[in-house]
Amino acid sequence: MSGRVGFACAYAPLPLIHAAGLVPYRILPLGEAPDRAGALLHDSLCPHVKRVLDRVLAQDLPELEGMVLMLSCDAMRRLADAWSTARPGDRLAVVDLPVTDDEGAVERLAAELRRLADRLGQWSGAPRTDADLAASCDLYERLAAGLGRVGERFASGALAGGRAKFQELLNRSVSEPPEATLAEIEGLLAQPETRGAERLGVPILLVGNVLPDPGALALVESCGALVVADDLCSGSRQLAAPCAIGHGDAVTRLARASLRRPRCARTISSAEPGSLAREVVERARAVAARGVVVHVAKFCDPYLARIPALRGALRQAGIPTLVLEGDCSLRSLGQQRTRVAAFVEMLEA
Amino acid sequence: MQMQRYFDDVAAGVEAKLAEAGPDDLVARKVLALETARLGSRLFSGSETVAWCGVLAPFDLLHALGVTSCFVEFVGATLALTGGTTPLLEAAEQAGFATDSCSYHRAVMGAALGGLMPKPDLVIATSAPCTGGLAVVANLAAHFQAGLFVVNVPHARDEAAVEYLAGQLRVMVDFVTERTGRPLDGDRLAVAMERTNRARAALGEAYRLAATVPTPARRRDLVNLGLVAPLSFGTEAGVRIAETFRDELARKVREGVAGVPGERLRLLWLQNRVQFRSPIEELLEERYGAAVVADELNTVTWLPIDPGDPFTGLARRALALPLVGPVERRLELLTQMAADYRVDGAINPCHWGCRQGTGARGLVEAGLREAGIPVLNLEVDCLDERSFSEGQVRTRLEAFMEMLASRPRRPAAEA
Repeated sequence: MSGRVGFACAYAPLPLIHAAGLVPYRILPLGEAPDRAGALLHDSLCPHVKRVLDRVLAQDLPELEGMVLMLSCDAMRRLADAWSTARPGDRLAVVDLPVTDDEGAVERLAAELRRLADRLGQWSGAPRTDADLAASCDLYERLAAGLGRVGERFASGALAGGRAKFQELLNRSVSEPPEATLAEIEGLLAQPETRGAERLGVPILLVGNVLPDPGALALVESCGALVVADDLCSGSRQLAAPCAIGHGDAVTRLARASLRRPRCARTISSAEPGSLAREVVERARAVAARGVVVHVAKFCDPYLARIPALRGALRQAGIPTLVLEGDCSLRSLGQQRTRVAAFVEMLEA
Repeated sequence: MQMQRYFDDVAAGVEAKLAEAGPDDLVARKVLALETARLGSRLFSGSETVAWCGVLAPFDLLHALGVTSCFVEFVGATLALTGGTTPLLEAAEQAGFATDSCSYHRAVMGAALGGLMPKPDLVIATSAPCTGGLAVVANLAAHFQAGLFVVNVPHARDEAAVEYLAGQLRVMVDFVTERTGRPLDGDRLAVAMERTNRARAALGEAYRLAATVPTPARRRDLVNLGLVAPLSFGTEAGVRIAETFRDELARKVREGVAGVPGERLRLLWLQNRVQFRSPIEELLEERYGAAVVADELNTVTWLPIDPGDPFTGLARRALALPLVGPVERRLELLTQMAADYRVDGAINPCHWGCRQGTGARGLVEAGLREAGIPVLNLEVDCLDERSFSEGQVRTRLEAFMEMLASRPRRPAAEA
């Protein structure tokens, strides 16, 4: 493994980057970079993208061989627009990401990924082979499965530290070599269980887009909640398995898996356009959540447009829901601590 | 029924005015209003096959398939002039749609929730120009339980992108045919493409004429033309609209009639105009002799469509539109427009909730300034008059116009 390649969206094809001998590095909206992105773009833009751009403008990034930007939504397109202005010397690869998962879209994404693979090969000097990609897909599937098992242990209290500790691991899983995270996971799974040592709270499902700050997760659990599962692009959707689905070459199978992974609200099911709400209800029931906390980044159109239907479906299913908007940070969630605490108390009652 | 009656009344009123018009009267705007009202009436009649669509849907292809179609933003924009948008916005907000989202999209959701939108036979979403628009069209499909087809509009403009988009349009035809039972008639499509090309040529000429110094276009003549005209592409109505504008502007140029008498400053308007009644254009014209001579969306950026290969041509057209692709492409077009129209400055109405156009505010401003074009970023909501602060807008406009007036004029801009 040599240099790092930056990315900022959960749809980035990490196995493809890894197969080229590079380390995927997710630029998470963390840190204390000053708010400057609004001047380059607009203040009423997704805070995830703005905070990533703030980090770029503050030079708060490690050395990168290049940057892969998935054009998943308007905000990501604007980030791609701004990147060259913010870091003019960077090697930048943009990937057009269809919004549907039909076979035509799979072929289109596969073509985009082949183009990306060529660029990555140029950056690393080591073009990938199908066998490399298959091996990387296998590695990431093991990583996703391992994270799933570790997440369950944190949620059950068998591992100490709660969701915040697990979030730290999730963040490392997309910023450090996957082999290192996998080794760490194996170590965690080998640890003796500490069941009973942790105070378990009211089980909730956390839904939304980007909330990677471990402190934010700690805050939620400090209010008496237990995050038993999530549907976040900085959580369970970040490294989704499988990494290969169906027929075709390795890139086509990766493209199909990418589009059919657990859905961000930006991806549409033509057959069932309101499926996101149903999927969240099913997930909440599957993990026996007593309530759902929806945390959406302000100005995120795909989620903002789905909240009424989501709220309605959860109400119909008899699952209490709390909807919060924030800027992906602990700061904004902290201002809503009282609401979270009141919601958990209501669930406990 | 309520909406159909509204459109019928508008159509009847405009028809009466057109019947009274003499040969020297200016009628292009009325022709546009009439055809738009007729389209509205058909959409709400309950007797036609209707598709609610995204902005970049191929309306001429849908016409050829016997489908009356329209982009969903039309509803709010149409009602804004009558002050009828506010109840729709309030209905959407009460249902939980965030005020941080685009008001065009909130208005249409409010109309759907309030039972003001007819149930469509099908829904065609487009992934461009914006994610918010895509989401709301998908919401409508779910709300009405209508069949949804999503057109992925690529960001790139290369041949692979053209081929991918053209292929999707072919699949879209199958989707429509399955639901309507009407297969695509090749001859009818060829006629539609020929009409589209005639409308395209006339619109291009109209925009070229509008660039004359002084511009022959009055302050609201060309408002929304580039957005609304495509709804009638493929029909004789579309040709009539475009040719009427062309002929009227040509006549005024021949006769030396200025749209803004005593034109002193020329402006480029980015994105959409403010849709409800506001004093902006009047202030610009009467106090500063300023004419909005160009609207970003009033452009013909695409080549004529080959009727022998319509799907490729339709795909190329969609990808050539300024609403698609990276900001560099948009800046290239704006800079070219600024030169062609010899503008003194640009106004960017940063429509609240728009991540597509407004989202690039800083980059657009920097790019235009680099090209020597001063920009005023006007933070407004183009549809929601509740948030319109006239005093604030007036102050900002006055400061900008005074700055422009104090600058040396571009030599080419002098009449």
